[in-house]
Amino acid sequence: MLALLLKPRLLSLKNSVSTKVVLRRLPFILIGIGFWILFYIGTYKVLSYVRGIEFFGEILSRKLFSMTFFSLLGFLILSSIITAISYFYLSKDIPLFLSKPVEIRDISRLKTFDSFINSSWMALSFMPPVFIAYGISYGAAAGYYLLVLGCFLLFSLITAGIGITTAHMLTRLFPAKRTRNVLLGIGVMLFLMLYFLVKGLIPYDISTPDGFINSIMSFKTESPMLPSYWVTEAVSPVLKKSGFSIFYLIILLSNALFFLLLSEIAGLRFYRKNIERIQPSGERVGRGIWGGYYPGINTAMFYKDIKTFFRDTGQWSQVIIIGALIMIYVYNFKSIPVNALSGFSFIKEIMVLVNLVLSGLVLSAVSARFIYASVSLEGQAFWIIRTSPVDMRKFLWAKFLYGFIPVTALMLVLVFLTNLAMNAKGVLMYLSLGTVVVLCVSVSGLGTGLGAIYPKFKYENIASVSMSLGGMAFMLIAFSIVIATLSFEAWIFYVYSLKGAVDLSAKIQIGLSVIMIILINAVAFYIPMRIGKRKLQEQGGII
Amino acid sequence: MIILDNISKSFNDMHAVKNISLTVNTGEIFGIVGPNGAGKTTTIKLITGLLTPDEGKILIGKYDIVREPIKAKAILGYVPDKAFLYEKLTAREFLIFISAIYGIPQSEALSRTDEMLELFGIKDVEDELIESFSQGMRQRLLFASALIHRPEALLIDEPFMGLDPFGVRMLKGIIKDLSSKGVTIFLATHSLHIAEELCHRVGFINKGSVISVKTKEEISGVKGGLEGLFMEIGG
Repeated sequence: MLALLLKPRLLSLKNSVSTKVVLRRLPFILIGIGFWILFYIGTYKVLSYVRGIEFFGEILSRKLFSMTFFSLLGFLILSSIITAISYFYLSKDIPLFLSKPVEIRDISRLKTFDSFINSSWMALSFMPPVFIAYGISYGAAAGYYLLVLGCFLLFSLITAGIGITTAHMLTRLFPAKRTRNVLLGIGVMLFLMLYFLVKGLIPYDISTPDGFINSIMSFKTESPMLPSYWVTEAVSPVLKKSGFSIFYLIILLSNALFFLLLSEIAGLRFYRKNIERIQPSGERVGRGIWGGYYPGINTAMFYKDIKTFFRDTGQWSQVIIIGALIMIYVYNFKSIPVNALSGFSFIKEIMVLVNLVLSGLVLSAVSARFIYASVSLEGQAFWIIRTSPVDMRKFLWAKFLYGFIPVTALMLVLVFLTNLAMNAKGVLMYLSLGTVVVLCVSVSGLGTGLGAIYPKFKYENIASVSMSLGGMAFMLIAFSIVIATLSFEAWIFYVYSLKGAVDLSAKIQIGLSVIMIILINAVAFYIPMRIGKRKLQEQGGII
Repeated sequence: MIILDNISKSFNDMHAVKNISLTVNTGEIFGIVGPNGAGKTTTIKLITGLLTPDEGKILIGKYDIVREPIKAKAILGYVPDKAFLYEKLTAREFLIFISAIYGIPQSEALSRTDEMLELFGIKDVEDELIESFSQGMRQRLLFASALIHRPEALLIDEPFMGLDPFGVRMLKGIIKDLSSKGVTIFLATHSLHIAEELCHRVGFINKGSVISVKTKEEISGVKGGLEGLFMEIGG
């Protein structure tokens, strides 16, 4: 029966794959491959450095491997719970299946498959460069690659089983829409608790090699009760060519089967009753103090988007997660031993640059979630805009402002606080804030434009828009713009510090760099916005 | 009021609409009927500007929908066959949003919102989120949103979808009333008895082409009325 229920998905996939679609997605695929290569090179270099450390090298290398799986464990369980709630309880095909002579067991198996694929595909697609880097660094045989892939699949099945079981239990306690938020809240709290716990466990001084090694070693990731430990134990001997033990592979397999079975039992026990409890009912909304506000023709879109945003709990709960991550980010910068590093020349300037690079990463990720997805957020109600006397240019500008204003405010606060934490004031502070504004303009324009060029109006869950191939490509392009802009800025700073703006060559280099910064950011803003407007005007088939 | 001048539209070399020429006069109720996949919805989407014709010209009043879309859309109302709305807005907020994008001044927008909510019998649920609305309530809200800017022409795709008998009766009255006030109505439907009752003229569409247009009088003169004619022409 599962094969039969999966058939519509496979046929949809087959029908949607054509040469045209592949060619349309080719740039994204190439960007993804480029990222893979860069990720592989980065991992390989870190691994070579770590393995080169005398005496501790191999221990650290193993530790990094187990830490990777330890981090994945928490991430995949949380991701599985959220995905399972969406696929088991909020999917649009549920009423169809429930009205047909299909057993709950079969629906449950189909949704388990959906949840597993959707919660782990990102980890599945980002991990191969890490595995390959380890394999090549150790000169491992082909068996290693098969083993690590098999272990990773079993590991993902364990997390899916735990996640689905928890999702059923939580939905039993709370209605699905509230569960998702309760869960996200719990997730954030757990994450923060774990973070501060780990922070408390590690020695504070990480400025010396000894301190750094002690810090890494003090992470408690090696409990024999954890699946991440089983993977490490199963893979390590094969990686180091010191034999093969089937013991931990059997543990992984039996646990994967156990947790899948447990999730099925939980599904059979709770699913039917839970589904009945979450049927929509009339929800009266208070008009509040803004009830009498009437938006003008230029602000109507913005007004509608803001109202929708704050009512869509799936949206704002993600703001909480981002808030927590930013808190950690600022806290980390506060912990940097700037004084210990004060002996190095230009250390403050370098730290400000590193801060801007990391802020750029945050900007790209946040923009993918909130700006790239903003046009798709219209959903199938986009016909309303298309049949109204609304100029698409105004529509796109409204979407741009909807993303640009909060993201810029967030980034300015972030960079301002982190610079203060590093005691970077004066010109460095002004330059950083100016750079942030420029990058926010170009990245917001890029996100709005690309989101309009590749809209996904028929989505199951708005988070899937930013996690799509287009969303990932946007993130990588946005980050490339950040890197390019900062590289030119760094070059200006380097030339200015080294030669001063005295000789002609220095002046030309500085001038060209400024032109390049303006050009890169202007193109990133203007071209996607322009193409996006045209593409939206042509959108007809989606409505 | 609505002029279709030799319009055609193809998808992947398949003609969805082929050389349609029609004129719908001011205040006229024009119905278009035909089998599934005949091209009714595509024709309506072309008139609304959701699709662009490959050939031909469409005028709404004096405005070409392709060349002057903003002006043409400003005098057009549209009720689609699928009621996708902004689920997280209340009915009242949705109507206020629609008023704003049509540039209706505040004082007028608020009074028209109240008027529409009353007219379509959804005043008591005005502060409820649309996501909790039934199909019939959504259809009423769609009509309210299509009429709030007082359009000169109204395009309706399957007007009575999901409505209860009270709703159907109410809507028929509203359509007749609008027509008597000079609003041009273009509707596509499978409900032949309703088309026969409401429309001044009915066009038969098959395989993307309008094959016949009959007046109310011509239809009533045929044995079996519109249904008989449909079977005869369609067969």
